[in-house]
Amino acid sequence: MTRVKPLRILLFVAIASPLLAFLPGLQDPDGWDKDVERACTSQRYGLRLAAARKVAAGGAAAVPAIRAFAQKNGVNAVPAALVDAIADQATLEAAVLELLREWADNGDFYWRASAMRGLALRAPKLPPAAAAELGKFFVPHYDSASWLMRVHAQLGGALLGDHNAQQIPEPDPRARYKEAILLLQHEKDLPDKRMLQLSLVIHALADERTFQGDPWGQRFAAEANKALKAWLGDQYPEIPGGDTEGSVRAIVAAAKQKSGQNLNVPEPRKDPATPFAGGIEILSCKNGDLFVQWTAAGEVHFGLEDCAVVRLPAEAWTALTSERAQLSLGANLGVIVCDAMRLSWLEPKLHAKVAPASLPAAAANWLQHLASEIEKTGQPGLAAVLRTGLEQFAAP
Amino acid sequence: MFRVPVLLALLACLPDDPTPVGFAVLAGFTYTEGMTLPKEVTNVDEKVVKIRGFMQREVPGSGPVNQFLLVNEACGCNGSPKLNEIVFCTLPDGVTMDIQPGVVTATGKLYVGEEKEDGVVVMLYQMDADTVK
Repeated sequence: MTRVKPLRILLFVAIASPLLAFLPGLQDPDGWDKDVERACTSQRYGLRLAAARKVAAGGAAAVPAIRAFAQKNGVNAVPAALVDAIADQATLEAAVLELLREWADNGDFYWRASAMRGLALRAPKLPPAAAAELGKFFVPHYDSASWLMRVHAQLGGALLGDHNAQQIPEPDPRARYKEAILLLQHEKDLPDKRMLQLSLVIHALADERTFQGDPWGQRFAAEANKALKAWLGDQYPEIPGGDTEGSVRAIVAAAKQKSGQNLNVPEPRKDPATPFAGGIEILSCKNGDLFVQWTAAGEVHFGLEDCAVVRLPAEAWTALTSERAQLSLGANLGVIVCDAMRLSWLEPKLHAKVAPASLPAAAANWLQHLASEIEKTGQPGLAAVLRTGLEQFAAP
Repeated sequence: MFRVPVLLALLACLPDDPTPVGFAVLAGFTYTEGMTLPKEVTNVDEKVVKIRGFMQREVPGSGPVNQFLLVNEACGCNGSPKLNEIVFCTLPDGVTMDIQPGVVTATGKLYVGEEKEDGVVVMLYQMDADTVK
C-alpha cells in the first residue's frame, strides 16, 4: 500500500484552501457580507454586476447577508443588478423564494418587478403544492399599476397554465410585447403552447413608435428580434443590412415555417402625424407609468396608443401656455435611482428629468392646473391619473 | 498644378464620418464571459462611431460627470443592463457635462473587448466620447 506523504497533504491543503473560497456554496458565511457590500456599493458597475452574480449563486447561504444589508441601509439600497441576478438563478431554496416574495410584495421596493420575474421563472419548477400556492400569489398582481409587475405576474401564471393570466385587456403596448417575448423565451416551460403569442412578437419587429424622442418601439423591435433569433436558432435567416422591411419579411417566413402558424408580415407602426409641442413622461415602478403629450393648439393625449384625447378650451390653454413659459427649470432635478419624471417641450425649449420629491412648486402647480382644466372638460378620470402620477414628484 | 493632389491628400487626412451603431447590434446577442464576440461588434472596434442612447451615472448622484454609461433604456425598471447593453463613455480630460435627459448621440472612438478588473470583466464597450449631443 502506498502512503501519501504528510508534506504532500499539507501542500495540497495550502493550495486548495484559497481556491475553495471562490466556490459560492462553500464560502464562509461571514464572507457574504463583503460580497453583498460590493454588489451594492462598488463604484464600478462591472464590479457590482460580477459581485451580484456571485452573491446570487450563493443562494440561501447569502440571504442573511442581503437581509442584513437591507436592514442597515434600507431595502432600496439593494440594486437592481442584485435582484436581477437572483431572479436569473435557478435555485429553489426556501430562503431565496421567501426573499423574492417579500420583495415582490413590497410596494415601496423599486425592483419588485425583477423579484416577481424570479418567482415566475421558478414557479413551473416547484413541487405542485408550492407552485399552486405561488400561483395564488401571482393573481392579484395580474392587473398591477406597474406594467412590468403585471407582465411578470402574468408570466408566472402562464407558466403554471393559468389561462386567466392572459384574459385581462392590456392597454400598454410595451406590456403586450414584453409578455409575448418572455413567453417565447420560456416556451419550453410553458405547459400549454397555445398561450404563446408569436404574432405579437412579430408585430413588435415593425414598431417604430416614439414618445417625446424616446424610441420605445425600436427598443422592443430589437428585443423581439433577439428573442426570435434565439428561438429560430439555425433557421434564423441571413439579414440584409439596411433593409428593415426585407429583414422582417425573412424573419416572418422563418417563423412561419418553424411554428406552422399563419403569420402576417406586419406593417410598420409609426407615430401619428400629430405635431406634438410637448409632454410629460412618468416612469414609476411604484405607481405605474404615465405618458401625456399636447399639441400647440391644446389637444392633450394620454397614453402610448389609442390615446384618450382631451381638447382644452382656447382660453384655458392660452393661460396654461403662458404660465408654463414662466417656469424656470434645470435639466436634472434631484437624484434619480428608479422612478423619474421627464418634462419636454419646444417653446420655450425645455428637457428636464426629475427625481421623486424634487419637482419645484411652480411646475407642480402648473401640472395641477393642467389637471384641473382637464377635469373641467368632463374627464375626472384622466385628471386623477395625472394628479396621482404627480404626487410622488412634487417637492414637499 | 499641385492643387488637385494636395486637395486629395488633405481629404484623405480628414477623419471618416462616424459610423452609426445601434444597441440593436451591440446588445443583439446573449453575452457570456470569455465568448467570441460576434463579427458585427468586433467590426466596429477602434472605429469612430455615433451611438444613440440614454446617459446614466455609474453611481447615483448629482453634478457634472466626466464618465457615464450610455444605455438603451431610460428606466432601470426593465431589468438592469447587461454588459453588452452598456457603452462606458469617457469625455476628454478635464471635460465634464451634466447628465442629459432624453436620448443623446455620443460620438467618439469605440473600443470593443473584455476589460477585466480584479479578475472579472467590467466592460465590453468603451468610448472616448468627443461629443455628446
